[in-house]
Amino acid sequence: MKIKRTLFAVALAIVCIFVLAVDASAGRPGFDKKEIRIAQWGPQTGPAAPWGSVARGSAIPFNLVNEEGGIHGRKIKYFIRDDQYNPAQTKAVVKELVERKGIFAFVGGVGGACGMAVKDYLAKNKVILFSPSTAITEYVVPTQKYLFATYPLYQDEGSIITKYLVEKMGFKKIGFFYQNDAYGKNGLEGCKQRLATYGMKLVAEIPVEPGEKDLASQMLKFKKSGAEAVILWVNPTTAVISLKTCATIGYKPQWVSSNTLSDYPLMYKISGGLFEGVITGAFAPPPDSDDPLLTKYREAAKRMVPEERWGTFFMAGILFAEPLVEALKRVGPNLSTEACLKELNSLKDFKGIGPVVNFNENCHQGTDSVQIQKCGPGASYILLQDWTPNDLATWKKK
Amino acid sequence: MIGQLIVEGLAIGACYGLMAIGVVIIYKTSEVVNFAQGEMAMFSTFIAYHILSYYHYPFWLALIITMVFAILLGMFIEFAFLRPAKEPTALGLIVITLGAEMLLMGLAGWKWGAEQKYFEIPMSFNVTHEPIKGVIISDWAIGVFVIAAILMTLLYLFFKYTRVGVAMKATQQNKNAAKIMGVRVERMFSLAWGLSSLMGAIAAMFFASRATLDPNFMMEPFLRAFAAAVLGGLMSIPGVLIGGGLLGLIENFFGYVWPEWKPIVAFLVIVLVLCVRPSGLFAKHYIKKV
Repeated sequence: MKIKRTLFAVALAIVCIFVLAVDASAGRPGFDKKEIRIAQWGPQTGPAAPWGSVARGSAIPFNLVNEEGGIHGRKIKYFIRDDQYNPAQTKAVVKELVERKGIFAFVGGVGGACGMAVKDYLAKNKVILFSPSTAITEYVVPTQKYLFATYPLYQDEGSIITKYLVEKMGFKKIGFFYQNDAYGKNGLEGCKQRLATYGMKLVAEIPVEPGEKDLASQMLKFKKSGAEAVILWVNPTTAVISLKTCATIGYKPQWVSSNTLSDYPLMYKISGGLFEGVITGAFAPPPDSDDPLLTKYREAAKRMVPEERWGTFFMAGILFAEPLVEALKRVGPNLSTEACLKELNSLKDFKGIGPVVNFNENCHQGTDSVQIQKCGPGASYILLQDWTPNDLATWKKK
Repeated sequence: MIGQLIVEGLAIGACYGLMAIGVVIIYKTSEVVNFAQGEMAMFSTFIAYHILSYYHYPFWLALIITMVFAILLGMFIEFAFLRPAKEPTALGLIVITLGAEMLLMGLAGWKWGAEQKYFEIPMSFNVTHEPIKGVIISDWAIGVFVIAAILMTLLYLFFKYTRVGVAMKATQQNKNAAKIMGVRVERMFSLAWGLSSLMGAIAAMFFASRATLDPNFMMEPFLRAFAAAVLGGLMSIPGVLIGGGLLGLIENFFGYVWPEWKPIVAFLVIVLVLCVRPSGLFAKHYIKKV
């Protein structure tokens, strides 16, 4: 009995120590005189691991800044945590980083549900969430003090792509194949909004669940509708099945897609070359672009992480981090979260490797622009249209 | 359009049917629903992918090696995971299969990564024929029909005319009586798992060549196959193949008219069949008398 009581007392003491230890470290500032601590969650393992390169890409601008002596004497200490694309894991890793390490800002962060799971917690702890790697309207409408987005909204992208198809390619019959969730529905909304301005309607709009492996009936429906172009707002596997099924049933529309399929080497490979000719939106310029800044990053990546594939999602990590680095530089030596927020809110016409970024206190969606690219022979990138904003963007008016 | 829907529905249905046969073989022998079926098939397909991509063996050699591997994998899982279970209940065994499923998925993710892979079989979806005007059939679909027919016939002959097949059936009907008659029931279980894994691997190679190969790619087809097995009857091998075909047709016709409802048709079918005819459409309905 005595032993049991002693054990209970020891266990209680240990629990108390842990609880107090966590409390004591909560709210630890994300910087000191020597370093600024920035972090990112992202799937390094699990089903969404291919998108894990976003988090690894963000390390490039941070490492370059550190090589140049840091920002006003402070080096950037960058943490990556694997959340396996699981919001519960995201919560755990973010809490651990904020309360144990003390984080100034999170940058990127793949997964809509993952970001939604932690955005309020980060705001409560006054940690900046900068440019999460998903387009979610709830991130930016209404404007949230600590959250800034640079990923173009799917609604804007849907609208810009549709405009291109109608005005530049002259398509009269367009079909839309979308994932039955917020991602797909936002793209669909943008497309319909644009078509309405021409007095046009989609000839077919068909939803799909992400795991479906048999798409024959849906593709036959598109074929029957006579759609000359089919816009895909789906995941890579669904896109590949669509292309293969249409190759089987003898249907050859102009395929068009959101930026989520803009990793051409991957798409070309897993579709057995069927992806050639597909037009996509793009939030990053072609990886082989000769833009001087992009070349600088490409060379740095080759030197720092030679094993890493230089692709769209790796570059996305870079362009998500760039405006934050710029704001930190502009803050000067007297760093604070409020000072950084002030600089971010006054960021005007910032141009990194991505589209031009603008923020103000009332609007934290930094851009509505995408490029339009085409997958050429051997998964090459062909730029069809440079950065184009959405003149119908509804959030600009809110 | 109707003709094309029939061809596509039957082709995917035959794939579900092949996968469902794997489910039924295990269920017939040990009355366990193997939830690792899809992942066993996925893992074997990755072996084929590995042999083709890294060793560049001809497809048919890779196929034979994969088939042998699939049989051994099934037998190993039975031997290493299910056999050691002490006084197992059906639920306990199902939970073990769920554990094996997680393990295989984790192993595949660790070894080959989560990124989708391109997997090709000689019967390509790209090579098509038009036997009737407006109805196109690909080599892939012809391959599925032919392989399903061959395997169906072989299984029928195996269970009807071979000693091992009869012993497996005896094991399912009465384990103790089979033991008394000299049947080594543990071996029969292992063999059933091996055979089931083989059927799954063949179906999974067809699925992978139509979609992409990744550690999660068999989750959804397994659920469809399970629906086909319930539809056809968990005890009837020809029944599940017909069940697969029916499911493919129902899904395709339903999906053509109401695409948004397509994903739930399979599960509606399970519920309806369980309510109306719990043993499935083609299995004999036994009532245990106490």
